Amino acid sequence: MKETPIDKPEGLIRLTVNGEAYKLQVKPNWTLYYLFHDKMGLTGAKMFCDRGACGSCTVIMDGRPILSCMTLAIECDGKTIETVEGIAAANHPLIDTYVKHHCMQCGYCTPGFVVTAKALLDRNPNPTEGEVKEALAGNLCRCGTYPQHLKAVLEAAENLRER
Amino acid sequence: MAKKVPGDYQKLKAEGRYRIGSDIPTISFSEIGKRGVRRLDGYEKASGQAIYTRDVQLPGMLYARVLMSPYARARIQKMGTSKAEALPGVRAVIRYDDVEVKDRMLNGCYFGPEWVCPRLAGWALKPIHPVLGEQAWYEGQPVGAVVAADSEDIANEALRLLEVEWEELPFVLDQEEALKPDAPILRPGADSNLLERPGQSIEQGDVERGFREADKIIEFRAKRNAHLWAGAELPSVVVRWRGDNLEMWVHEQQAYHAKMLISEWLKVPMNKITVHSPYQGCSFGGRGNPANNSENGMNILAALLARRTGRPVKLLYDRRESFFGESADMMVGHFKVGAKSDGTITAVQMKNVFAVYMGAPGIEHFIDNTRIPNLSCETLTVDVSKGPAWWCRCEQLPNALCLTLVFDHVAAELGLDPTEVALKNDGYDGRDTTELSKYKREHGFPDRDSLKECIEAGKKTIGWDEKWHPPGTKRLPNGKMHGMAFTWSHEWDDTRGTGSTAVMIENDGTVSIIGEQSDIGVNPWTAYCQIVADELGIRYEDVNIKPFNLDHGFALMSPDGSANLCSNGEVLRKAAQKAKKMLLELAAQRFEGVEPKELDIKDGIIYVKAAPEEQKTIKEAVARAMPMFASAAFWTEPPVIAWAWHTQGVWGRALETGRPRLCRQAHFIEVEVDTGTGEVEVTKVVNVNDVGKAISPETVEGQMYGGTYMGIGRALSEEMVWDEKTGVLLNRNLLDYKYATMLDCGPIETIIKETGMGHGPYGTCGVAEDIATEVPALLGPAVYNAIGKWVDEYPITPDKVLKALGKT
Repeated sequence: MKETPIDKPEGLIRLTVNGEAYKLQVKPNWTLYYLFHDKMGLTGAKMFCDRGACGSCTVIMDGRPILSCMTLAIECDGKTIETVEGIAAANHPLIDTYVKHHCMQCGYCTPGFVVTAKALLDRNPNPTEGEVKEALAGNLCRCGTYPQHLKAVLEAAENLRER
Repeated sequence: MAKKVPGDYQKLKAEGRYRIGSDIPTISFSEIGKRGVRRLDGYEKASGQAIYTRDVQLPGMLYARVLMSPYARARIQKMGTSKAEALPGVRAVIRYDDVEVKDRMLNGCYFGPEWVCPRLAGWALKPIHPVLGEQAWYEGQPVGAVVAADSEDIANEALRLLEVEWEELPFVLDQEEALKPDAPILRPGADSNLLERPGQSIEQGDVERGFREADKIIEFRAKRNAHLWAGAELPSVVVRWRGDNLEMWVHEQQAYHAKMLISEWLKVPMNKITVHSPYQGCSFGGRGNPANNSENGMNILAALLARRTGRPVKLLYDRRESFFGESADMMVGHFKVGAKSDGTITAVQMKNVFAVYMGAPGIEHFIDNTRIPNLSCETLTVDVSKGPAWWCRCEQLPNALCLTLVFDHVAAELGLDPTEVALKNDGYDGRDTTELSKYKREHGFPDRDSLKECIEAGKKTIGWDEKWHPPGTKRLPNGKMHGMAFTWSHEWDDTRGTGSTAVMIENDGTVSIIGEQSDIGVNPWTAYCQIVADELGIRYEDVNIKPFNLDHGFALMSPDGSANLCSNGEVLRKAAQKAKKMLLELAAQRFEGVEPKELDIKDGIIYVKAAPEEQKTIKEAVARAMPMFASAAFWTEPPVIAWAWHTQGVWGRALETGRPRLCRQAHFIEVEVDTGTGEVEVTKVVNVNDVGKAISPETVEGQMYGGTYMGIGRALSEEMVWDEKTGVLLNRNLLDYKYATMLDCGPIETIIKETGMGHGPYGTCGVAEDIATEVPALLGPAVYNAIGKWVDEYPITPDKVLKALGKT
């Protein structure tokens, strides 16, 4: 039998994720994506491009959309983070308009779009078409659902304003 | 020279093997064709709940990674694994010379290694690669070793600790170079890099006569470089053993096929294999290749590691590694075309040289789609040091490119409107549209001129008559050159699908569709529920399908060949009709003195046709019809469950079975070309598709949007770039391999035509594959129309535009 040395504990971080407080032991090389997807069961963030090119792993950290695959978890101590799971649990109107306007085909990139769009609407509740396009231009969709996102985000913005 | 012979379709029809003729629905549509039907997978996907293979984690699961060749062609001379094995957390290393894999090839075609569909798969289905060998035929080929470890990081570290002595071998990248006498011969024992393939040449009529009859002879060359489908979810598989039972979570669009293949390879009986097919992050025809390391091959390696370690194993590829095995083919075409001055094409001759061939020679759309009597196509398939190709949205790319370029070159040379040239040559198999009309009438179809309808609708929407101009003549106020183009084709194939399903009336009166299907995003399940709802006379909301497992025995046709809905629509309809018959037989017992035939169902209520006020709910009818119940004091009845199987057509081209394609499609594009930078911007696209009948219109539109974006990426920016000196791929990531983003296309107008002339159920035909296949070709003629020069190599990147303009 081989003996496996156990890593010394290191990297204790505190996070608020979708409104809940966590105290987590992380390794220095863990990305936020890995922590969420593989360790916390928050599989809505997706590994697609593998290196910060596609936006599918987007989460909102302190109000800004960030790429969780390019962010080291150990650097996030004290941060407040929102994932697609939290956005859906809060019944954000984007979820409904995304379904209504068929903004998904295979659906793998969809959570990343929802999170990016949510971050846009948080800071700009009344975006123009151009502003929506610009906000979502960093998200890749291989199925090419782009035109449908535009409709869904604008309608969600309208629904939010009416709330 | 192979001659295409029409099959005896009357015999096939008489045998009932499949329906040839129009499909007149026997029901009234309530859900079918309706807009606003809530898509079944929508919430799961938008909310992040949808689980994909890559998301699956099992208790005690190990992570596996496989070594891939860093060289275009190389052989392992020696490999040391002791350092890797000693790394803490490494649980198993399988070497190429271990007994599990030594001299074992990938499966190849299920029907035997010698059985290769002559017209389609070509060499792609031949088991020419080992599962894990010592020889790499291309960069990125899994060779040498596969490692299982406690984490992905440890597995990666173990790969780095392998001590490999490589022998680099000469390679060749270009298919025309590979045919030259001094090129290295890539396969041992071969005397040339030309691959043997039956049916390599197609001849119809007499092209020399056609050239003599022509007023003008047009010759040109075109090249299509490699792009790949690069799916969103990277290749992955999760495997565990339960005793001698094997359980797999696959990223495969044909999960049943994956089960057959792994059973064959591992000699595990099929009744001991459970296959789960979670949501699939894209596929586009890939994820189903039995002779590809990144598909069937990785499933096998994961199963071997799981057996050796006694632990569940997840085998993963990263993005760099996924660039080998997802590519389309590469083509160089040499064309000679004869045409009369009115646009009638008299002869088309082409010689196409392919590398990593997908299976379409380039001439087939001329046969299926036109009245051109004289056709000749010589196809050469050449081995090069590049990863294998596989059908990816879709293998018709060469056919679409060749038809578009021939028609647009003819229009350009003759100074004609390309829409007129299309209408002039529409037909099938060398016959004109009067023959098509005759066929339609004889087979009960409406006699509509689909191409004309599509062209008229598209021209009006894009403003063709106002905007169309001679090449290189319209400079816009912003200084850019304006260009337009048009192409067309027939409906896509519907003749290659087999599926099975059961429809069960649950005890509460709701309905379950039982059957596995891998979801790649074409929203099929919504359509299936719409069909079952209308066939049964119930609400869409009362039908559901959960197709994530094969264990119940039924499997719906996979999303291949544009045949998903054409096949499964029939399967669902048959099963629903059988279930309805059973249900009414049971329900009749709940009424007084009523025969089943006197009953019908509407809005989920069973009623007596002659006395509609006499009603029962479905729940009342099936309350005691149940698969099990644990009480002796309770009278029960057999459950209402009916299953059906259907195969749509006979494998092969539609014409061979006597079914000319009747629906057409037309695509229009507007571009602006910056003659200073060479940049091409797409400012408007109009897609017009006659889909026969749209079951779910929003889904059709989604395919049109998506196909357009994929097509524009392929035409303008997606290109696999190899380094000529080392033979390695330079842009193996999604920053340097560029998809179209939201900003890369102007408005897309989608027009759905419904002539009812498809051969599928309710008159439908395929739509998901074709737009991404048709649109790339359009950019060549559009750029020509803008700048008056042909760019004859795809993708049309700015450097090629500048070269065409004489600026480099």
